[in-house]
Amino acid sequence: MSPVFERRIREHRARMLVRSLDYRQRRHARGVWFRLRRVLAEAGAAFVIPEDEARTLIAEGHRPEPVGQELEPPKLIVMASSARIAQIASAQPVPVRLGGELLAATCLALTPFETTG
Amino acid sequence: MTFRDRLVATIQAARSVLEDPGVLIVGSEVPNLLEPGAASTLVVSQDLDIGIPVDCHAAVKRRLPELIVHFRPSPDEPSVWTPRSSGLLEVNFVGMDPKQDPADAYVLEDDQFPLLVFGALSLVVPGVEIDIAGTRIRVPRPAGLLLEKLVTDRTGEKGDRDLLVALGLLMAAGPADLDELDGAYRRLRPELRHTVRSNLTLLSLIEARTGMPDPRPRRADVAALLRRLETGGEGLR
Repeated sequence: MSPVFERRIREHRARMLVRSLDYRQRRHARGVWFRLRRVLAEAGAAFVIPEDEARTLIAEGHRPEPVGQELEPPKLIVMASSARIAQIASAQPVPVRLGGELLAATCLALTPFETTG
Repeated sequence: MTFRDRLVATIQAARSVLEDPGVLIVGSEVPNLLEPGAASTLVVSQDLDIGIPVDCHAAVKRRLPELIVHFRPSPDEPSVWTPRSSGLLEVNFVGMDPKQDPADAYVLEDDQFPLLVFGALSLVVPGVEIDIAGTRIRVPRPAGLLLEKLVTDRTGEKGDRDLLVALGLLMAAGPADLDELDGAYRRLRPELRHTVRSNLTLLSLIEARTGMPDPRPRRADVAALLRRLETGGEGLR
């Protein structure tokens, strides 16, 4: 076998082993990034909010996303309607991606995609 | 000379192989070729991936001498043929075996024409024939190619671009294509289904890139696809 092909097959199988490990551990700490991405994938927009506002949202019945407590330091991540978040004057929009602004936030409010029709 | 000119010229130069029944163009150039008039506006790597079903290997091998005029086998990479002219792109041959496990890979050994056979390409199904400047080529059905893109590990800049190619396919997919994707997804084993959904979450969060479909206006569609694939309970995740 060509050494190039041999190397590529070896690398492919190594990637498959890592992927299997990721899958087996998906419900453990290793799976936290998938769970965080999965929550963010449902968000049309994201906002950094003060902790007291996040606590108020939870007190109103908005459920904190469990994945926020799986991170260190932990985050309060709450999904709420756009109309409700618009009432929080200090809410700062941040891009919905795994960037510095979002990851540095202690409290995040997410809003669902607007539906039409 | 534009990139499209080079892509079209490469297809014409590889005509003897591409017109062999069973041979497919796979990879990132497919969305470029599916644009109206094969406009080729996406910024992708400068090569043309040609999928060779293992059953067609002998027939394609017989046609290789006709390629020698335009290409030469790379001394470094047995699957790559480099162009003799700057007006052409590299050609990269990959093997396809419909009976293969999607996570597996093997080498189809041959002194003159060895092929790496990646299992993810077993998900690709022949689709329509299109005419590119007089050369008839066959491209995969969108659902299978989309699933192939989503079932493969995607990391780094190339990984992001491959996912944006998948987005281009998703944008072009109609309801029947999504039904077909959904059905094929449900036939995958759980680990591969997880990879598909993991790649969709990555696609949802990557930044826009010049010359590629912008994922931001399509995030709601990606979320809807994720929810659809998850319908049916934990067993389908």
